[in-house]
Amino acid sequence: MTALVLGVPSKGRLMEATEALFGKGGFAFARSGSDRLYRGHLGGVAGIDIAFLSASEIAGQLKDGKIDLGVTGEDLLRETLAPEDARVDVLQRLGFGPANVVVAVPQSWFDVARMSDLDEVSEGFYERHGRRLRIATKYLNLTRRFFASKGVTGYRIVESLGATEGAPAAGTAEAIVDITTTGSTLAANHLKILDDGVILRSEAVLAVQARLAGDQRVAALRAGLSRVVAAA
Amino acid sequence: MVVGALGCVAMPGKSSAERQALEAQNARVMAVFEAAGFDHIAPDILQPADIFLERSGEDIRANSYVFTDPEGAEMCLRPDLTVPACRYHLAHAARPDSEARYCYCGPAFRFTKDARLLSEFGQAGIEWLAAGDAQGSEAQVLALTIAAVRAGGLKGFRVKLGDLSLFHALLDGLEMPRRWRRRLIHHFWRPQTFRETLTRFAALEDQTRTSISPFVDKVVGKDIGQTQGWVEAELDRGAIPLAGGRSTEEIATRLVEKAADRSAHPLAPAAVKAIETYLAIEGNAASVLAPLEAIAGGEAYRAALKRFRRRIEAMRERGLAPEDFAFAATFGRNLEYYTGFVFQIEADTAQGPLQVAGGGRYDDLLSDIGSAVPVSAVGCAIGTESLLAAAGARS
Repeated sequence: MTALVLGVPSKGRLMEATEALFGKGGFAFARSGSDRLYRGHLGGVAGIDIAFLSASEIAGQLKDGKIDLGVTGEDLLRETLAPEDARVDVLQRLGFGPANVVVAVPQSWFDVARMSDLDEVSEGFYERHGRRLRIATKYLNLTRRFFASKGVTGYRIVESLGATEGAPAAGTAEAIVDITTTGSTLAANHLKILDDGVILRSEAVLAVQARLAGDQRVAALRAGLSRVVAAA
Repeated sequence: MVVGALGCVAMPGKSSAERQALEAQNARVMAVFEAAGFDHIAPDILQPADIFLERSGEDIRANSYVFTDPEGAEMCLRPDLTVPACRYHLAHAARPDSEARYCYCGPAFRFTKDARLLSEFGQAGIEWLAAGDAQGSEAQVLALTIAAVRAGGLKGFRVKLGDLSLFHALLDGLEMPRRWRRRLIHHFWRPQTFRETLTRFAALEDQTRTSISPFVDKVVGKDIGQTQGWVEAELDRGAIPLAGGRSTEEIATRLVEKAADRSAHPLAPAAVKAIETYLAIEGNAASVLAPLEAIAGGEAYRAALKRFRRRIEAMRERGLAPEDFAFAATFGRNLEYYTGFVFQIEADTAQGPLQVAGGGRYDDLLSDIGSAVPVSAVGCAIGTESLLAAAGARS
């Protein structure tokens, strides 16, 4: 039987938390050889190799079927996979890396509390300013889906690959969709989250190719990890 | 359709026979338009992206092929030919409001995941700008569209009609704050949100507290100038910069409207009933006249109804039978651009009903893309591959 490949973030807090959680479940990371920085294998269950990948690549590699399992933020998974895509499932929520994807607007917008307010502002924005209201974000798909579900269409996405929270102050966008843990970065940038503006309550998840649902190695991994998560 | 290794749909191209069939059909379609005096132009395929994206919003952008040219300008492959034909007009006409009749046939591009649709497809259509006789030109465009799909070989089809101006006129005559009217028109195309909004206005259920209710409390009884003063003082007090491109006057105006909502009377039951009765009207385009006339609308509604009646007459004058067309008050809810009369031609195929043509009145578009004066406009577009598929399914 060919070994399954588990994608794990190659560095940072997400990698440390993943290794600690898997270790508690009896699945220690074993690194060896000259490519120890990129490859390894999982202890406690035979036949699962580890690929250490950049955190931002894991969702995409799951989508393309290049890895069988992967640990990634739910935000990136939902952004990368269409909702109707049944090829990848969340096997286990891991209970760390909590963060919300939210819609935030300038604090100076005293007249805007809800998505319906944003809709009303965006509707009149074109006539007043000769252009669409701009939303800065890296979450193009999550934003489009959420805004469509709220009936907001008269806006435009400005793709942002970093420091999204600074866009309104810099004048490159009016509002943003971004990830936040405590909200302090948003507050420091004089932004506020809309009352009904939480798009996703995200945490780290272990995702798996749906075709492997009946695989015994996957079942063993899930059983071990769910015990640790439940006990935490 | 060929599915590639990574699950993406490959673009299979057209064989010699497919190309010839399509070109022969399109020649017959265009001959109908040209014989009616429409000037056959070729608008550009490459278009500046802004004009589409600023006009249409993010939902269109998500389906558009947008890219950057070597000098950094944002361009797109045209998602339809209406906007390019109107840009052609603004570039070539002596005056924006000079009457002009154009026809065209060429490719358009819209990303789709629907296996029945193509991302690269042909559109053959007409645009009639600044026509003198509004209802006459609408009936004429419909008659030409029907003649063109017949020339293309389509035998059995359904024609659906709508009229967005009737609904706007109906709301104009009903007693309610201006802001409510705007909300209802804005949500017209989303039936569920529309219903919720209507219920809220009728029952004044909109009084749940939100995070900005304390601000609204502060401005009750103040006018816009006073409210603007309060907003500015509050920004100073909290050291909050004015970000996001909106002025304190804009923010104050909406706060005042929100405060006014609190004292507004709920929408009268008679008004709710008029709206609901209107939206439920459907039937053949001649038979709906009686129920449309039975609605107690205001002066604007009666004027719009008069135009509706005149359009029915204009259809008869051109040999069309309005009895054969299906009217629905809610039809046109989700069609872009359109401001009044709208229509769609649909045919049955083995895969289910397929839209082969659509059109209507779009009086705001030329102003939106830069005309200094209002220019009335009515037109249609036929999906050439859809027409070929639908005509083939019947023969």
